[in-house]
Amino acid sequence: METVRDAISLLSYFVLPLILVGFPLYGLFKRVPVYESFVEGAKEGFQVAVRIIPYLVAILFAIAMFRASGAMEALTQVLNPVLGLIGFPAELLPMAIIRSLSGSGSAALVVDMINQYGQDSIFVKMASVMYGSSETTFYVIAVYFGAVGIRKTRHAVPAGLIADAAAMLIAVWTVRLLFHG
Amino acid sequence: MLNYIWAGLIISSFLFAIGYDIRDISGDKYRNGQPLLLELAFPEGYDSAARRVAVEIRIAPDQYASFYRTDQAPAPSYPGYLLQTKEGTQLRFAAGSKLPEPLATIGKVSSSRDGELQGLLTGFTPPGGTAGVVFEPVRFVKLNAIASAALDFAKTGAEIALGLVGVLSLFLGLLKIAEDSGIVFALVKLVRPILRPLFPEVPADHPALGMIALNLTATLFGLGNAATPFGIKAMEELQKLNKSEDTATNSMVMLMAINTAGIQLVPPVLLLALMGTQVNTLIFPILITSVLGMIVAIVAARLLGRLPGYRGSDPNRKA
Repeated sequence: METVRDAISLLSYFVLPLILVGFPLYGLFKRVPVYESFVEGAKEGFQVAVRIIPYLVAILFAIAMFRASGAMEALTQVLNPVLGLIGFPAELLPMAIIRSLSGSGSAALVVDMINQYGQDSIFVKMASVMYGSSETTFYVIAVYFGAVGIRKTRHAVPAGLIADAAAMLIAVWTVRLLFHG
Repeated sequence: MLNYIWAGLIISSFLFAIGYDIRDISGDKYRNGQPLLLELAFPEGYDSAARRVAVEIRIAPDQYASFYRTDQAPAPSYPGYLLQTKEGTQLRFAAGSKLPEPLATIGKVSSSRDGELQGLLTGFTPPGGTAGVVFEPVRFVKLNAIASAALDFAKTGAEIALGLVGVLSLFLGLLKIAEDSGIVFALVKLVRPILRPLFPEVPADHPALGMIALNLTATLFGLGNAATPFGIKAMEELQKLNKSEDTATNSMVMLMAINTAGIQLVPPVLLLALMGTQVNTLIFPILITSVLGMIVAIVAARLLGRLPGYRGSDPNRKA
């Protein structure tokens, strides 16, 4: 595992420089006016960022309110007995709920859990796998759809949430399987 | 769906906040208007003429526990000072004191701009000894909290978006070179056999497939900074194929679904920082979980798109 990881992380050092250097170099080779092309494309950067703002604000403030209201604790209490039936540990419920809502929130939860249970605990392993194996769905939706002005997202949210729920369960099971917790 | 979830988040946060606040008020959690007994000592002596006197504040743990009906315990002593004001003698805890709940909350809500927990002294007879302190009444903590959270994160949202300007410009510029020089087109040919089945609406030679490939590659190598601009560019290409201005196509939902699964060969930098070498043992479970999660995402996006309701709203449906 160690060598595979080293190889991959070594490779990932080269991907970004390859893009940064390779694209203009290849463009030059193909006689593209690279500087002009670059500036032409980069012009869009500001507009795209500004276009995202309303979508991001809408999503972030609603989620922030929800987290500040203490609704999470109540939700945890309600869902606990149900999830206990399928072997989902109560300690990980906050993480499972917050993972699709907030990236910084779930990172903070991993830190909390390390402080509370210690690095070696099975719960921290599960939480880390949850953190590492999934993206913040609502952030992705806001940014990607916001950038092109899509307001009617159709089945994007249910599909994302189904996938998230599945990933949370799979995280618990794989860690249990691998570490015999 | 997003409409209901969004409204649901806002409405439920209001209901929960008001519920918790009413519970706190009816349980008299903050003991509004009642004096908390504490012990005052003056390390530099007491001077009744001075406007400001340093003081050491001691709170008996059992006294504290029974007063606030909590199992939290205060520290042995807190630094602070007395301040003579128009309303009477004010006791202030030094800013940054590690206060137990609910004092910490009282401090946060009522401390105004100084960041110091403050209250009026009662039954204080110089020089020192036992006295009571009455804090400003604390009500509707959660209601205030959700309002300020909303304002804070509105600001955060704009900051995140504007913070992307530089990186977006960089990668959108590079992508333009890639388009003009034919890299994207070459990439399209390469990834067509894999991506075509997932994005059947996209014509075989369309640059969208190349952008999607770049987006997925960047994600795979944990290059979040590059993945987002590539993903946005892929969305723009998909939008060119969209007959509607504001409604997502099946391909867009598929791209979003694959991205939320976020397959990475390299563990996130943050995990590496938190877990150190422990991460090595987690790479395998992370990879399994995200691959399985992505499969679920793809199947869910595909199957949900076939539901009558979502099929009816498909901007590219054949009339």
